[in-house]
This record gives sequence, C-alpha cells and structure tokens, in this order.
Amino acid sequence: MAGKVPDFQAYQGQGEPRFANDVELECAKLLDYYGIPWAYEPHTFVLEQDADGRVIEAFTPDFYLPEQNLYLELTVMKQSLVTRKNRKLRKLRERYPDVNAKLFYRRDIERLAQRYRLDLAS
Amino acid sequence: MVTPRSLTDERVGEIYLSREEIQARVEELGAEIATDYEGLEPILVASLKTAIVFVADLSRALPIVHNLDFIALAPYDGNGGSGRQVRLLKDLSMSINRRHVLLVEDIVDTGMTLNYVAKTLLLREPASLAAVTLLDRPYRRLVEDIPVRYVGFTVPDEFFVGYGFDLDERYRNLPDLRLLEPGD
Repeated sequence: MAGKVPDFQAYQGQGEPRFANDVELECAKLLDYYGIPWAYEPHTFVLEQDADGRVIEAFTPDFYLPEQNLYLELTVMKQSLVTRKNRKLRKLRERYPDVNAKLFYRRDIERLAQRYRLDLAS
Repeated sequence: MVTPRSLTDERVGEIYLSREEIQARVEELGAEIATDYEGLEPILVASLKTAIVFVADLSRALPIVHNLDFIALAPYDGNGGSGRQVRLLKDLSMSINRRHVLLVEDIVDTGMTLNYVAKTLLLREPASLAAVTLLDRPYRRLVEDIPVRYVGFTVPDEFFVGYGFDLDERYRNLPDLRLLEPGD
C-alpha cells in the first residue's frame, strides 16, 4: 500500500483514492502539483467475454486525465517483464480505438523521478 | 572555452550534439522565427535556469527586433498535493498584454510545465503565445494541448548535461550537449 494520501486539489474522483503503491501516489502528487485534473481508476474496460457474456478479461488503467482525454497506466516492472500489460493495452486499443491510453514503463517513471526528485522508495 | 580536460565527473559522458550542430540548428530556428514574427517585435520569455544558454544564442540568431524576459518556476520538491502547486518564483518584468510571446524552453517532455506556464501567461491576454524548445521528447507527452511551434531536436530518452543543462548545478557552461551517464 502507498503512504499517507494528501488532500488533493486536482483530483476529479469521489472518495479517497487508494493507491496500490508509492509510484502511483507520487504520480498523483506530481499531477496535482502542476494542476492537471486527474481521476484514479475511474473506468474498467472489458477486453474479453465468454459466450455467456461473462467478463473474462478487463483492464482498469491507473489514471484518467479528463482535460487530455488520456488514460495512463503505470508499471514498475522491468521492460522485459511487461509483455502482459503491453498485450492488454494492445487489446484495449483494438477493442476501443477511440480510447487514448499510454503505458508509462519503469524507465519513464525513473526519468520522472530523476527530473522531479520524486521519492519512489517503497 | 571550456574543454573536456576540465571535467572531473565521470557521469559527464560523450557528446550527443556538438556546439557546431547546435549552432547550425539555432540559426535555422532564428531564421524561421524571424520570418514568422517580422514586424511584430515578439517577447522571448525563457524559464530560468536551463534555457539561458539557448535563449542567449537564439536571441543573437534572430535578425528582427525583439525583447527578452525571464520567469522562474518553483521546482517540484516531491511534496505535491495538500494544496501545494507550482508557482512563479520570478515573474516577468514586462507586460505581455497584446504582445506576441514566444516561450523559450530547454526541453519539453510530459508538457506539464509548459502547460502551466502557457495557461498562466494566457490570462494576461497576449496577442499570441507560442513556444520554441531546444529539445523535445514527444513520446513522453502527458499534456498534448501545448503551444510548441518550433523544435530544435527530437531526442531519445536520455539525460543531458552541458549547453545549459546541469549536473548538481555544475557544467551548464559546457558548449556541447553531452549524455549524462547513470551514477552508482
């Protein structure tokens, strides 16, 4: 679980967001600092259903930036281990071509951390 | 002239863009901007500190009448949220109302900083507002609605030092843009 959740100003959701890890928390703090409106896991996209219509695969991106109409998924896994997430993102784009989604890899997050001096120790 | 002999930090790596390559591109940008802003007397607004070397060169490569001004943003200290938001540490000294403003950036990646600066300055109702950036990482963009009109170089996902970019506040004066190697 992530550390203490601050009182966000640019948060667009309802209820206190429950971040899965400190990387998500730091990303939220950074978006908030720059006044970029954001929501946390507001939508779940169905990727696959069985013959009876039961959902067998779904994808809930971590963040949604409404002004950008952009979904953002963060992964702290190494580049070589993100095949599953890449596959999900590919399926999302195939099934919902109008949805704009971006995956930020560990390397991207490390770059952000260096540039903005984020505390990602968790 | 600073030479590599004066470098003592092993993290300062190979040259990525030589001073000659940068100068040639800056002159192209200057010519392009001069064509677009002929007779408009634009204000070049640079963010301190990294962009100072670029704006100094760009200004001298701009063969039209123009003004210079500077802003400084409070750096992110890792404590976002709880009402802590980016703010100007140093504001413009000139009015930009009904003036043509060209923001001069060292690098644009997520677009969050430029988005804040553009939104803030647009409240002052300039005649126009656009941006020129020395370096661009468009593939890392989170905010797309930013006014980048001129790009010096699209660069890979590396860190740089020299030509205004610092390493612990050092080496901004290096004339070439060098790769910053990861430390221990």
